[in-house]
Amino acid sequence: MREATPPLIPVLVALPVIACMAILGLPAIGHGHALAFRTLFIVACVAWIVPLALLQRALWRRDVKWLPTALALLAASYAMSVLNNLLGQRLAIELGLVKGYRLDELTMGLDGCWLALIMFCAVHAGAVYYLGLQRAQLRLAQALAAARDAELRALRLQVNPHFLFNTLNAVSALVAAGANRDANRMIGRVADFLRATLAHDGRHEHALAEELALTEAYLDIEKVRLGARLQLSMKAGPDLLDAAVPYLMLQPLVENAIRHGIAPLAAPGRLDILVGSEGGRLLVDVRNDGQPDAARDGTAGAGIGLANVAERLRRLYGADQQLDAGWREGRFAVRIALPLRALAQPAANDVDVAA
Amino acid sequence: MNGRLLRVAIVDDEPLARLAVRTRLACRPGFEVVAEYADGDSAALGLAALRPDLVFVDVQMPGRSGLAALAALPRAIRPMAILLTAYEGFALQAFELAAIDYLLKPIDDERLDEALERARRAFPYSSSASGGAAPAQWARTFSVRVGARTVLVEAAEVEHIEADGDYATLHAGGKTYLVRERLHALALRLDPRQFQRVHRSSIVRLDMVAELRALTNRDAVLRLRDGTLLRASRTYMPALAEALERRAHFPLPTPSVSKVA
Repeated sequence: MREATPPLIPVLVALPVIACMAILGLPAIGHGHALAFRTLFIVACVAWIVPLALLQRALWRRDVKWLPTALALLAASYAMSVLNNLLGQRLAIELGLVKGYRLDELTMGLDGCWLALIMFCAVHAGAVYYLGLQRAQLRLAQALAAARDAELRALRLQVNPHFLFNTLNAVSALVAAGANRDANRMIGRVADFLRATLAHDGRHEHALAEELALTEAYLDIEKVRLGARLQLSMKAGPDLLDAAVPYLMLQPLVENAIRHGIAPLAAPGRLDILVGSEGGRLLVDVRNDGQPDAARDGTAGAGIGLANVAERLRRLYGADQQLDAGWREGRFAVRIALPLRALAQPAANDVDVAA
Repeated sequence: MNGRLLRVAIVDDEPLARLAVRTRLACRPGFEVVAEYADGDSAALGLAALRPDLVFVDVQMPGRSGLAALAALPRAIRPMAILLTAYEGFALQAFELAAIDYLLKPIDDERLDEALERARRAFPYSSSASGGAAPAQWARTFSVRVGARTVLVEAAEVEHIEADGDYATLHAGGKTYLVRERLHALALRLDPRQFQRVHRSSIVRLDMVAELRALTNRDAVLRLRDGTLLRASRTYMPALAEALERRAHFPLPTPSVSKVA
């Protein structure tokens, strides 16, 4: 089923056809009756274009194959041209050039009208086909974008439940152990984190400042659990807080760093988040202390979080991103490189207080 | 500690939510819960009759809301109000009603302490901790135990302070020192012309602030001159903006001792 094409199309297509006929008719000016005949044919053709266009559209709507369509249109336009010739003979009779109708000459000299009408049909078909193709391409692009969006959403949703149940478990442990104050504190921090994530508008990217604030809200929860065992530093270079980063990119990395790196340690462990830039790239480093031989093998032991982040980066930025993870100098280090660009901010209310 | 107990009423339709406030007040000195109301109508009647000093009001209740009940009271007998809300976005109404604070549910103990501190200071009959009575001299040094030694850290060298449960961590010159004092108490001893509380869990030295980036939820992220990132919550944003503004116009020559008349 073809979709409806705007009625303006046949009008726009008819204009050059009429123009061509008018130009072809120019030499007839000054040749007495020739101009009258030309004018008659142009007016008749313009009149025929309307039912012809309607017929063409009716055939499309019924999904008639191209060959019957072409034959039907050829036949219809032929009949119209014959009627034009009949009108021409009528004019000749009126002008006293001939005595009566000559049916044997009706099919002669049809080229003027018939060719014009065929041309109209062809250009009309071409224009509609082209328009349809464009729309189909647009729909395809939209469908692909929607699919990508859904996949990213699904990947992002994996982040939250995992974290939520772990935290509920921790709260339950605190309550069971009678550590009411810590349990309260943790519930409060979870509420803060939930508020922050629920306030998110569903876009896949947000400003680095938002991401870091969200990460800190998450780290507040872990701080309740680990207390002084978690030593944290979060630093950034100048003018990077507006940079666009994927929503919840850091939280799974930080969760890994703590769960697999710092939490199993007997001694306090450091977690450092460093954000810098280099040659148009935003560089985000997450480094944590840990035991390289602990439980799983070092490089692949980071769990689903890392794979999830890598997959989201790949879908968002294609080849224009990098994620490296591994043990370096006794610490687990994740480095992400992204294209550095500022997030389009409709209402930026930055305050530069650097004096 | 002060003249007399603050008489407190709680207005919330949920019994457990009232319990949450009551139990927290029970373990803090200076407050006495005199009444609880589960709906706006009984609150309007009860508050007018009992005339408590302070009322905790849930802003979302079925029927007549706690806010409406409060607004119906004549200004002269309207108690100080601390609003409770599960959602944000009621701050505006809170200010219209001259509420002294608003707290998000679930109630955070540190934030509750701050709200109660405000109530105490605003309470006309309290003798201690009244608004203007700042310490005669702001803290100049902190004594910190490092292993077996005691180290003195100059207040002026402290770049920012982080809450660490019941302790606080001083950050100075790339080192950290743990102080056995809560951030809330520390904040009261620091010169407000140099230091500003920016979050439930942090205090910053004003001249360390290099960038301030507002967030969509009206909080902000601060970047200090050494690259350190700190969150600033909206509760402290007006005070922070004012302090930074003051500094921009009247910069202190050196961060040193300053006396308050």
